[in-house]
Amino acid sequence: MSAPTQETLWGIGTYDDEHGRRVPWRISHQEIGRDIGVAVNVLSDLGLAGKRVLWCSMLSQAGQFWPYTCGTVMAGGKLSCADSTYGEAMRVSMFLRLMDYDAVFGVTEALLDGIEALDLAPIEVFGGVRLLGAHPGAYERLLARRLAPLHFAVCGPALAIGREPGGPAYVANGEWELTTAGDRVCISSLGERAQPFIRTPIALRGTIVTGGVVPDAPTP
Amino acid sequence: MTSLPATDSVYYNAEIETMPRARLEELQLERLLEVLPLAYERAPLIRETWDAAGVHPRDIRTLDDFRERVPFIDKDAVRRFRNERGDPYGGLLCVDPSELTGVSSTSGTTGDPTLVPEQWGGGGLTSPSIITRDLWGWGVRPGDYVMLVLFTFRGPTYGLFQHSLATTPILVDFDPAEMERFCELSLEYRPTAVYNFGSVLINAVKDACDRRGFDPHDVFSSYRGVTFAGEPLSPRARALAESWGIELFEHGNVGDVTGSFECVEHDGLHAWEDTVLVEGVDHDGDRCELVATSLANNIAPLIRFRSDDIVRLTYEPCACGRTHVRMWPLGRKSDEIVVSGTSVLPLDVWGAVESVDACAAGLFQVIRTDRRVDRLRLRIGYSPDWSQRLDTVRDALMAAVLEATGVEPDVELVPNEALLRLGPPHKIPRVATS
Repeated sequence: MSAPTQETLWGIGTYDDEHGRRVPWRISHQEIGRDIGVAVNVLSDLGLAGKRVLWCSMLSQAGQFWPYTCGTVMAGGKLSCADSTYGEAMRVSMFLRLMDYDAVFGVTEALLDGIEALDLAPIEVFGGVRLLGAHPGAYERLLARRLAPLHFAVCGPALAIGREPGGPAYVANGEWELTTAGDRVCISSLGERAQPFIRTPIALRGTIVTGGVVPDAPTP
Repeated sequence: MTSLPATDSVYYNAEIETMPRARLEELQLERLLEVLPLAYERAPLIRETWDAAGVHPRDIRTLDDFRERVPFIDKDAVRRFRNERGDPYGGLLCVDPSELTGVSSTSGTTGDPTLVPEQWGGGGLTSPSIITRDLWGWGVRPGDYVMLVLFTFRGPTYGLFQHSLATTPILVDFDPAEMERFCELSLEYRPTAVYNFGSVLINAVKDACDRRGFDPHDVFSSYRGVTFAGEPLSPRARALAESWGIELFEHGNVGDVTGSFECVEHDGLHAWEDTVLVEGVDHDGDRCELVATSLANNIAPLIRFRSDDIVRLTYEPCACGRTHVRMWPLGRKSDEIVVSGTSVLPLDVWGAVESVDACAAGLFQVIRTDRRVDRLRLRIGYSPDWSQRLDTVRDALMAAVLEATGVEPDVELVPNEALLRLGPPHKIPRVATS
């Protein structure tokens, strides 16, 4: 029997830099294990231990989302996944029609376009969901349709999740720190990482409030 | 981390993969006799179907009993049970819902996706035998990088690559816009396998290489194998890939029970029969409809599930040394239309569509309002560069399809993007009802 080498990475993920370019990102098994533990705590604090959660994301974002998707199961919850694209609107609406979800995270504008193309109103699809995390752009559209979403954003290599409607979204405390440099949001890794981040400017625009971020609405 | 075979081993699990057929059938019967009572006792769709057929698990003692007596189910029956009874799992669930760790779903190509209940570590669809035995057979080894070009709706399948194979996945979206990055990452990390590709992505790689000046031979030089799945490769995409020196491996579904892969012999797709019982029914010459039964799923096993897939099957051992069934996918029963007496499948139209430059991406749908129709109606995608010359494009398509099928089509032209959005991303629905 052969053993895997110690230096084998968990994966090569991707984050968007300050210009919106996709940058490869080396992720170790050790850091992803730590991130899962932190995600379990975040989800538990949101009251999601043992609850049903739908995560909408893309595979290239697995480095950011996997701690939370895995953490959902580790926290005793029920996990469902869908891509966050126009074409996945049928799957997302099917999940929500057939089962009760306590939370849906990662709603995008593309997904909302797809839902509306199916002649469904967002409130019909998401009205029964307690925590609805929406990316910038989708957040404002859901607000305008009488829903009360949470801010939700990909902050470079991390996810930021709001704790209450209208409040800032927070990255995992102890692992990441958000700061600003001019009009840029920057992220720093606080623990050991295969690829450290030191005040790295990221694609997200927003305002830092009490350690969290209130994302700007995208400019048309 | 799963213990792994020696790196010079040809097989991931030599004992199982090369098991003599008689022993394999003993193992299947052993597993079947565990699964059937469980499914009958706990899954209401299975129980009702069996009761209506007057069959009970105690009647089944041999594989022949099973093949002769057990009634079929199909996806329509699952959807009907789901919709009429309000059971999201379509009458298939064998555990208490509280014991599930999650619910994923089928791709939804033929309609509303159906749910796939899961229990991590509990023997569901994502059995490690899927993918790991196959990629190992191509020569993928621990420490390699593997390019994962996928979607998320199946749930976190990438654990198989990290833990069962001890490889490092490079995570890329199944999206033509990602192919420039695919080329860059291939040149940087030199991965040994791609899971999963398709015609649209191969065409997009060509565009990316043209645009950025990459040599596609170099981009793919480290790969031992490139999987394609979801739908057959178009003739143009296959020719392109082969001209770049890519060894292509076809990957298919086995009736929503598991997956199947080509081995290095490229002589049919292996399904792992310790996890699935494969049958062919409604034979027409050497063609038959694939029927699958779960042998390694205690959560929501499918029992004699009619797949709607037309295949050719052989139970003869492969030259690679593996003894498990091999299949050759030929198409879907429900995709065929008969136009004034002429049978037309999407694959019959495909080469003609992509032979027209404006439609080289091969994106099209056959409009199937009924199995028998008077006119062949096609919805075909075009590249935006051609939007000022659509009459020319339409004329060329009509001539090409007439030559390929003997049937003159009615052609509706739409931008490629309009069809790509219809997803799931690894395949667009090739047949639409309107």
